[in-house]
Amino acid sequence: MEQLPTQKLNPKVKNVWRINDLVWLVVLYLICTLPFFIVANTAPEESGWAMPVVIAETVACIVLAVVFAFVLPPIRYARWRYDVSPEFLDIAKGIVWKKRYVIPFIRVQNTDTRQGPVLRAFGLSSVTVSTAAGAHEIPGLDSNTAAELRDRAAELARIAREDV
Amino acid sequence: MNDEKITSPLGPAATSASAPERKHVHASYIWLGTLRSVGAVLVVLVVGGISSITSLIRAASYEYQLFGSQAFGYGSVFMTIILALVVVLVVVALVVGIHAWAWRHLWYELGPEEVSVYSGIISKKRVHVPYDRIQTVDQKASLLQRAFGVCNVTIDTAGGASNKAVLIPYLRKGDADALRHELYARKMGMSAATTSARATVDAAPPTGAPIVAAPAPAGATTCQGNVLDLGEEAWQQFGGVFAGDTFDMGAPSFEYRLTNKELVFTGLSNNGGFILTLIAILAGVSSIVSFAFDLFPNESNAIMTDAASRFDPFFLVLIGGIVLIACTIVGWCISVLGTCVQYGGFHARRRGTRVEVERGLLKHQTESLDLARVQSVIIKQSFIRRLIGYCELSLGKVDAAESENSNENTGITPQGLIVHPFLKVDRVHEVLAGLVPEFADIPDATTRVAPVALRRGLIRRCLWQGNGFWVAVSVAALQIVAHLIAAFDPEVVGAIPSIDLICAIIYGFAAVFFVLDIIGSVYWYRESAFATNKRFARIKNGGLSSMDVSVPRQKIQFGNTKTNPFQRMAKTATIQMRTAAGVSGTTTQLIDVSQDNAASWLEWITPKTSHPAR
Repeated sequence: MEQLPTQKLNPKVKNVWRINDLVWLVVLYLICTLPFFIVANTAPEESGWAMPVVIAETVACIVLAVVFAFVLPPIRYARWRYDVSPEFLDIAKGIVWKKRYVIPFIRVQNTDTRQGPVLRAFGLSSVTVSTAAGAHEIPGLDSNTAAELRDRAAELARIAREDV
Repeated sequence: MNDEKITSPLGPAATSASAPERKHVHASYIWLGTLRSVGAVLVVLVVGGISSITSLIRAASYEYQLFGSQAFGYGSVFMTIILALVVVLVVVALVVGIHAWAWRHLWYELGPEEVSVYSGIISKKRVHVPYDRIQTVDQKASLLQRAFGVCNVTIDTAGGASNKAVLIPYLRKGDADALRHELYARKMGMSAATTSARATVDAAPPTGAPIVAAPAPAGATTCQGNVLDLGEEAWQQFGGVFAGDTFDMGAPSFEYRLTNKELVFTGLSNNGGFILTLIAILAGVSSIVSFAFDLFPNESNAIMTDAASRFDPFFLVLIGGIVLIACTIVGWCISVLGTCVQYGGFHARRRGTRVEVERGLLKHQTESLDLARVQSVIIKQSFIRRLIGYCELSLGKVDAAESENSNENTGITPQGLIVHPFLKVDRVHEVLAGLVPEFADIPDATTRVAPVALRRGLIRRCLWQGNGFWVAVSVAALQIVAHLIAAFDPEVVGAIPSIDLICAIIYGFAAVFFVLDIIGSVYWYRESAFATNKRFARIKNGGLSSMDVSVPRQKIQFGNTKTNPFQRMAKTATIQMRTAAGVSGTTTQLIDVSQDNAASWLEWITPKTSHPAR
């Protein structure tokens, strides 16, 4: 088990992560900044403090955007690996906290694929493998691989069906 | 899945007909249920009523003083009381009617493959539970239910957090035993037919030989009872008004009770409900006092002013303090007694393929868990238990989020089935061998954490997670702030010595905690280990209080390792295993095993059969 799993995600998933993270970041930015912005514009005399806050938040947002758009996705992508053996699913992920999961297919209760709007735009799907105590998601496989993986996991889980 | 296959070992009470028979619950559902739901309303009414009636009486007597006639005043009071009684009667009648109606629409059926519970008047509800999905079957009886010989039966399934247990209320005791037995018999029939491979499970009726011959521990020593067992026996003989015929479940292959000593220690150490009792007592006292003030306003005020003038305030404070301490002691004693009563009549036994735990002198409950559903064996030592060499032994199981109308608060840790609340450590092996002989070959935890774990453990437990450390840091910060304020504001200087004194006291406590943290870390390092063998994994986390979890291989849902940058520098990793025990799964972990051992852990988790080499 020393060496990492071999399979990598579809490279397009980096763009999916970028878009998802940036959307969340923009929403968060608007929630945090709009009140100060409005205050600064409606009563500029009494609230000289509001504009610096807006500027500080904007700077922070831009820094975070750079991090999420350019720094994190390649590292995350490089770290995210998986392997589907006949009997178990092997996942390695994490940047700071590196995690390595082994999920035997005989414990899998159900598998499903999911495709949000962003994933669909790139022609990708995510596969979720659920056990009786928690689920694991493999994001960003191209739809054919995902369907194949889902069917395979479901079949293996059915063959080796066991009770909780 | 044909029905005939299931040879029912039962009496006429639960013979399976070809068409499932509708079985209603006992009719005491109607009036005991009414009593239960109206009881709360009645209490509210009485409490609210008394205060309003006292105010009415006061108004009336005031009127009497004013006008010298009482015809109007007391008459209206009388009328009000009559009216209130009528309202209460109507409400009770209504609730009885609803319960009777609900009772007609509440029944259960034992079908060929599943048990179905039908309920609901307007919105009908039916729950089907396949026999081989049953996790546990529990019986619970409140004091009142017990007196009448009925109990609630709850059936748990492995539904996880979204699922509630299925409740069949107000079954006669005999019927409940028969139902439990029948459910397990059918479950066994199902699983024997579907998966013949389950070697440990024996479909024979429990009257037959026990599966694995328990190494017959001397029955006399293990069955030693305690004082409260007498009460339990009295209950057994009385049985309850409607209990029905006692149902013969077959002889258990292993059984034990608590000794006097164990019972008392359990009472002393399981005091979760203590604070609640204390609050309840204080609330009760204060409400009685305020009630007295309401009823006799003049007299009470007079007493108060009198007391204040006659004694000096220090004396009053002293009296108050003594009363408070007395309340605390009384509350603690009540809580200890309560726990003893909760564990009174404790029995744990092995019967066929299931483990049954029965307890409670007043409120009685029987929990039963099939062996195939045991998720883990947990040996837990709290600080106090550790000091005197005892532990708590429990079996992990899948818990339902809540049973349907679970408004009872047991005050006992909800997780797992406690098979012995206070067991001497060197008897653990003996009890396990008798109760769950299938778990006999649990390995000893031998693979210890890496040597560097001591340093990392000290830093983690004493600094990052050390309560004493953080208390000291925050108090020091406050002290510095206070001194800074004093430096600029001479008026505050006078308060500085007392602030320093308080801080010093807190530092003392923090130091004690810090030392305890250090001792705990050292013990953690010396005792923490894990082990795996063919069938089991065992993870032991030591410390001042320790927890030792053994899980059968097929109950581990998945396993993983985890490292943070510091661990990677120290060449260690955290190993984790996840089981379905508890409401939504349980993770057991061991921090800082060496990287080689972590790799072998993953290797062990990996299914072996078609995986020759990697």
